[in-house]
Amino acid sequence: MSTRWYPIYQRGGPQLRVFLPNFWMKVIRPTEIQPENVVTFSCSMEMSKPDIKNYLEKIYNIPVVDVRTRIATGPTKKDQIYGYVTKADDIKIAYVTLPKENKFVFPDLFPQSAKDKKEQDEKSLEESKVNFKKYLDRNKGRPGAPGWFSI
Amino acid sequence: MSSITKVMYTSRCLGNLCQRLSVINLNLQQSSKNIPATIVSSSQFHTTPKRFDVMEFFDDKKHYGENEVKHGRHWEKDELRIKSNQDLHKLWFVLLKERNMLKTMEHECNEKMELFPSPERIDKVEMSMENLESVVRERNKAYYLLETGETGERPGKLVTNSLGINHYYKASEHVIPAYMNQNWFKSRQHFRGKAVRKFVLLYRERLYNEKRKAKNRDRNQVMMLMRRNPNLDVSLLREKYPTVDIDKLIRNDQIRGHYIPK
Repeated sequence: MSTRWYPIYQRGGPQLRVFLPNFWMKVIRPTEIQPENVVTFSCSMEMSKPDIKNYLEKIYNIPVVDVRTRIATGPTKKDQIYGYVTKADDIKIAYVTLPKENKFVFPDLFPQSAKDKKEQDEKSLEESKVNFKKYLDRNKGRPGAPGWFSI
Repeated sequence: MSSITKVMYTSRCLGNLCQRLSVINLNLQQSSKNIPATIVSSSQFHTTPKRFDVMEFFDDKKHYGENEVKHGRHWEKDELRIKSNQDLHKLWFVLLKERNMLKTMEHECNEKMELFPSPERIDKVEMSMENLESVVRERNKAYYLLETGETGERPGKLVTNSLGINHYYKASEHVIPAYMNQNWFKSRQHFRGKAVRKFVLLYRERLYNEKRKAKNRDRNQVMMLMRRNPNLDVSLLREKYPTVDIDKLIRNDQIRGHYIPK
């Protein structure tokens, strides 16, 4: 696409303008304990540190003090039957430092109340299944009788 | 008066995002300078409330732990075509943020071994982005054709690679021209060797055999069908097997079964 075809940068040339940036970034839960003002991101492999800073500041209006990045090796997996090894793609991880006063705590996306509700729903579903089974068994011996008929 | 201020207010709210992205520039926008479509269409342009926080990477709190999240459909091309360039530019960032949010949620769900509710949302956002990009491309093309007589698309051509196979090469800018580029010249020294010729010969033979076998398979299939079903509709067969010469089969009496014709 013409909007994805960027000119080569040479010294003295104009700064690269991106009209429709296609980079993605996602917040991930840090594996190690981090300071409160550090957010861990996973981002497109092509993004550089200034890219990440600009992305957050311009699009999300998040003030950024410092960006550190690393490229994490994708996990390898051995096939259970044939024994060949496959490797997932590498991912870029960015540690973004916010100003001192900003604090970020990774939210709990699966609160206990929702879990309880789900459990309750499952329980009631199981119960209704058992009741239906009972109902079928009850009418097994008298074929042709309507469902509402009982002695 | 109040309605005018209202419209101005909404357009200003939407303009905020674009102002912050003032670094981003587009020559396309110059073409739409004279069209006052922004204010009109901005009243029909809905966005989620702005939060400007890291929490923007996460979904609404009411969707936490849900089995299903209600959502709409993707943006069609026809809907995007009637939007101004500015609106499309804003919509792109709305979609970009939405995609980031969904990716964040999906990642966390996978980490916690939970089901990600309504995963088709990601597909819909990506389809919208694809459509938007293609609409921008259409406009770009039209603008370039009008101004320069060329499409402005990335140029390309069919070239032969080191294995002797043709492929489409997308041209890219280089610091020095090809005839000055020693490394590029050296890398092409072994392009037309004996081994390459042999490989190409065998490769083409394989391709030819595949094609030939497919053709024979089709012909045998047609022969079998017509032999077993004497009253078969020939026009249907012609439609399904366009490569087979059915007239020739009939003429050469290749479709008669092992029975006495009535």
